[in-house]
Amino acid sequence: MRLTKFVAGSAAILVGALALSGCSAGSSDSADGKVTLTMWHNSTTGDGKKYWDDTAAAFEKANPNVTVEIQSVQNEEMDGKLQTALNSGDAPDIFMARGGGKLADVVKAGQAMDLTSGLTDATKTAVGNSLSAFEIDGKNYGVPTAVLPSGFFYSSDLLTQAGITDTPKTIDDLEAADEKLKAAGIAPIAVGAKDAWPAAHWYYNFALRACSQDVLNEAATSRNFDDDCWLKAGENLESFIKTEPFNDGFLTTAAQQGAGSSAGLIANKQAAMELMGAWDPGVIASLTPDEKPLADLKWFPFPEVPGGDGEAGAMMGGVDGFTCWVNAPKECVDFLNFTAEKANQEAYATAFQTLPASTEAQSSVTDPALKDVLAAYNDAPYVSVWLDTLYGQNVGNALNVAVVDMFAGKGDAQSIVDAVNAAAAKS
Amino acid sequence: MAVLREETHTEEAARGSRRPAGGGASALPPAVPSPRARSHWPKRAELLLLIGPALLVFLAFVILPVVLAAYYGFFSWSGYGAATDFVGLRNYITILTDPAFLEALSHNAFIVVMSLVLQGPLALGIALLLNRKLRFQSLIRVLIFVPYVISEVVVGLGWSLMLQSNGALNGLLEKVGLGGLATDWLSDPSAAIWTLLVIITWKYVGFAVILFLAGLQGIPDEITEAARIDGASYWQVQRYIVLPLMGPTVRIWAFLSIIGSLQLFDLVWIVWGQYVAGTAGTSTMATYMVANGRNSGSYGYGNAVAVVIFLISLVVALLYQRFILRRDSAVTTTGGAH
Amino acid sequence: MAIAAPLASRPRRRRVSEQSRRSSLISYLVALVLVGLMLAPVAYIILGGFRSNSEITVDPSGFPQAWAWSNFGDVLASGSFWTQVLNSTIAAVCTTVFVVVLGLMAAYGLSRYAFRGRAAVYALFTAGLMFPLTVAITPLYILVRNLGLTNSLAGVIIPQIAFALPLTIIVLVPFLAAIPNELQEAAAIDGLGRLGFFFRMVVRLSLPGVITVGILAFIASWNAYLLPLFILNGEASYTLPLGTQAFASQYAVDTAKVLAFTSLSMIPALVFFSLFERRIVGGLTGAVKG
Repeated sequence: MRLTKFVAGSAAILVGALALSGCSAGSSDSADGKVTLTMWHNSTTGDGKKYWDDTAAAFEKANPNVTVEIQSVQNEEMDGKLQTALNSGDAPDIFMARGGGKLADVVKAGQAMDLTSGLTDATKTAVGNSLSAFEIDGKNYGVPTAVLPSGFFYSSDLLTQAGITDTPKTIDDLEAADEKLKAAGIAPIAVGAKDAWPAAHWYYNFALRACSQDVLNEAATSRNFDDDCWLKAGENLESFIKTEPFNDGFLTTAAQQGAGSSAGLIANKQAAMELMGAWDPGVIASLTPDEKPLADLKWFPFPEVPGGDGEAGAMMGGVDGFTCWVNAPKECVDFLNFTAEKANQEAYATAFQTLPASTEAQSSVTDPALKDVLAAYNDAPYVSVWLDTLYGQNVGNALNVAVVDMFAGKGDAQSIVDAVNAAAAKS
Repeated sequence: MAVLREETHTEEAARGSRRPAGGGASALPPAVPSPRARSHWPKRAELLLLIGPALLVFLAFVILPVVLAAYYGFFSWSGYGAATDFVGLRNYITILTDPAFLEALSHNAFIVVMSLVLQGPLALGIALLLNRKLRFQSLIRVLIFVPYVISEVVVGLGWSLMLQSNGALNGLLEKVGLGGLATDWLSDPSAAIWTLLVIITWKYVGFAVILFLAGLQGIPDEITEAARIDGASYWQVQRYIVLPLMGPTVRIWAFLSIIGSLQLFDLVWIVWGQYVAGTAGTSTMATYMVANGRNSGSYGYGNAVAVVIFLISLVVALLYQRFILRRDSAVTTTGGAH
Repeated sequence: MAIAAPLASRPRRRRVSEQSRRSSLISYLVALVLVGLMLAPVAYIILGGFRSNSEITVDPSGFPQAWAWSNFGDVLASGSFWTQVLNSTIAAVCTTVFVVVLGLMAAYGLSRYAFRGRAAVYALFTAGLMFPLTVAITPLYILVRNLGLTNSLAGVIIPQIAFALPLTIIVLVPFLAAIPNELQEAAAIDGLGRLGFFFRMVVRLSLPGVITVGILAFIASWNAYLLPLFILNGEASYTLPLGTQAFASQYAVDTAKVLAFTSLSMIPALVFFSLFERRIVGGLTGAVKG
């Protein structure tokens, strides 16, 4: 009868669909000793993507029973997708991590593999201090691949064009430079406020200058902004914003996607400088018209802001690295050790045009802007991880939103403090 | 117009063709008494077979989540493992006192009202104008419906590219000499909410037009003809005959529109993103829920927001059913069941 | 008045035709403007796919200078596009089939049987309209996760079926209730019980309503964004809306190609709709009549 055929047909389709769907939820281990490692990273285009494909291939060659499956996830979606994946018990074996409170939350939930015994001495010597960013309660949960201090990347041609001869050393110098740039018809500073974190980086740096290292670290446990210095940092930022130094439409400017993003503006010489981490040269290079590095790109550190408790020369800087999922095969640690080897780190530095975590590989960095970053990094009395990473997803998100609101004129210094203190109630 | 007490053709014709239950969506028609047939199965088993599967899937995947949301809403929970940190009503109090949520709620309310005000008369007028034997009638109907058929992702991407500061709309305005009107359609708080309304209207007015056309075509010609014969002008016919008979259709459309406006998420999320929606004044309760729930790793809080949105929708829907749709159903839901 | 009607009709006809020609003209004009406004953004997307990026930057609202087919070609050649089309198709077809089957059966039970709790069950389904997917997504995601269905199409299909049932049942119940008793009695005389009547005759009789709800369910599934966003992690399991979004953010620098991808992802829904347009409107007419 027609109907029975119909019902049977639909049952078949459903079974087929379920079978197909079963295929996509893959498993990492199979019975015959072959191991598959799944990896998520955030380089969706260009040399960065190619680097990981090549490195995975090299690892597979050295370990014939291992296959590495790579998925590149857009940076802005990484946090949300990773969270979903970790929650669902179907997480990738190797995933990006930046240490700090965000990693601590993952560890607390028992989702990260303890790597302390798996790390080789070679790795430990190579990456040195930056390993501490991945240390929680004395145990190690990740391996860094890059150190990414924050500072101003600028086009020296545009600054010369505006008649600026010296890079700004204090915040007043910066404001003066902005005025000169505006007079020359150049947008002084690009900021990708649409993605929130680029705007938030401004607050982090002002907080770095206003607050002592102890206060910064203490807030990681208390998740609370009670000290006065937080308010001071907000007020300093507020008065800076009032000088209108940013590009037009900064509220809907993305950070790294497309020629209209803040990185794209620098790449196409439509803005003079932006406050960014050390990944910027690579991102800018992919957005220039000829997709080659920007020839006149240079760097200077975040200026000093008088009257604060922070030490001069301190830097805000993230550490990018990778963590193993708690249920990953043990080959995962081998892969992480592999990434820390000198040759791979040097290739990483070239592909991403950034600073590798491995001190052995750092000498291979030739880009003048990056060399300045490296010098400042090595001279810095202390380096703090990005505050939204340090303070965990919940507080970090609230902090970033509050800073964007201030950029939009919707909030002030007090509202940033309030938002952070209220974040715990929203968790 | 007949002044005498004599019944006009209009009334006579209308009386004859008045349908018993106008609002199909709210009234359960009385059960058709089953003929005493030789049933091969006991009635209960048949009912189980017929309604069982649908009910099962529905209870498991619609009702259960709402119950779960209410449960998790009492916890502070990062999403991993079991929920252990009971916080009682704290989440709900936080939501109802959070200025960001109240702002989102006000945006939803604004969108509810303005969608009705903008789309209703517009769609009705268009439907009236199109309700005649036109050539290409089919084609016109297809083309008007196109925006409704396209996914919200496509709509959002396309419009956001068009509305960039250096995008097609501003470019076009400049070309025709209206460059002064060019503005930042997306991030300017005074313009953004209206931009959102334009996009929503563009996407859904076609659906309203088609719905109203269906309703208009359900009005028998004899009634309007009879009124014309009685000397009524075109507008009098529309006002006294057509519009009242369109009542049930309009009320159903309004219900769907209100519920849709309360749930608005996809378009806002794709065009504005989670941060700009807040600063541009286009955040909705649903974007608030995703931004403060999943994206903050706060699943207990996110669930609580979900429950709040559901309760608001439920109250609005119940009030609407009670006061507005009640008029349409001559038979209430108690009819026929025993 | 009634007596005067036949006499008055002859001159009326001439006046009516003049008036109707003028208002027809207005109708055509309105239709033209409306269609133009509806299609302008769509045209923007499609034409944009034919331009080059520098053209778009220099003249955002202009026409393509040279018709670049390569953008479309590249998208069509990429495996991921077709994988997403396949995933979307599987999801939409499965959703539609089961929504129709389950919804029709339930609507039949609700409309032609009298039993205690009938109104309550109907009200329960109606209440489902007030629990939109957007609201239920957070707990639903947890539920799907606990069932182990994340990153699978089943995890998307089954919830979609559940959420499409209320509207389906509400549309189909009046259709089925309107089937005359005489038919059922006649079938009974021929030896068919209630179930037999259902399988043999009702399915065919309610075809217009079935097609309507089927199409609405198909379109809703094809265009779904929020549910797949939460449930599907891996690129290989993406449906088309997710894939379009991902493509757009990944290749944001290549605006022209993004527009090409977006245009292509619109086409299946448009084709499907234009094939069944008459049925949709017909079905809506039936539902509205109650």
